[in-house]
Amino acid sequence: MTDADVRLHILRELIAGGVAPRVGDTGKALGVSESDAAAAYDRLTANRVIVLRPGTRDVLMAAPLSAVPTPHVVRMTDGRSHYGNCVWDALGIIAMLGRDGDVETVCADCQAPLTLTVRGGAVAPTDAVVHFAVPAARWLEDIVFT
Amino acid sequence: MLLFRSEEHVRRWCEMRGLSRGAVFTPEQLWTIAKPWHGRRLERDWQRFTPDEAEAVFESAGLTGAFWQFGISRGQSP
Repeated sequence: MTDADVRLHILRELIAGGVAPRVGDTGKALGVSESDAAAAYDRLTANRVIVLRPGTRDVLMAAPLSAVPTPHVVRMTDGRSHYGNCVWDALGIIAMLGRDGDVETVCADCQAPLTLTVRGGAVAPTDAVVHFAVPAARWLEDIVFT
Repeated sequence: MLLFRSEEHVRRWCEMRGLSRGAVFTPEQLWTIAKPWHGRRLERDWQRFTPDEAEAVFESAGLTGAFWQFGISRGQSP
């Protein structure tokens, strides 16, 4: 088992059912001990590949997917829905899955519903705009507020 | 990063928080970034971009200048 196996298992389980696998389940699925799976979760966390709920090994984020509901809902045209950690990640889910989909979110200012539509590998024209408040050099100071 | 209905809503949001306007661009440009950034996540050999690779992705979307450079945090991959 490699860390890539664990990363892929987490992503595939989130895609399939919207639920991140617990360490023990990942160990069983990959045929390794729970302690080996736990060590992989810890390494993936240290490398910022996944984010765990503080004090646990419960996965909160496995980019671009969120394991908990967020305001950034991805609705694929095959009927499946997923949560993105932000709009960037939500579009990234569509890119990762390689299919058409919509990102349903809200305006950060007025909370009005906004939808980004991806069809045939392109985003449909929209009046919406993206705003980064923080330059790239400071993203790692607080990855939640960028 | 956040999505807004229009630049006017960005201005209002920044004003209410006493923040300077950062970088404003289109969802099409964000899609141009998102595709290479996340498109290979289900591949076994996926690796996080180096700062140079990330800056090249930004440049491919027309996002250039100091705002899009990793500067002092170059030691860590984004």
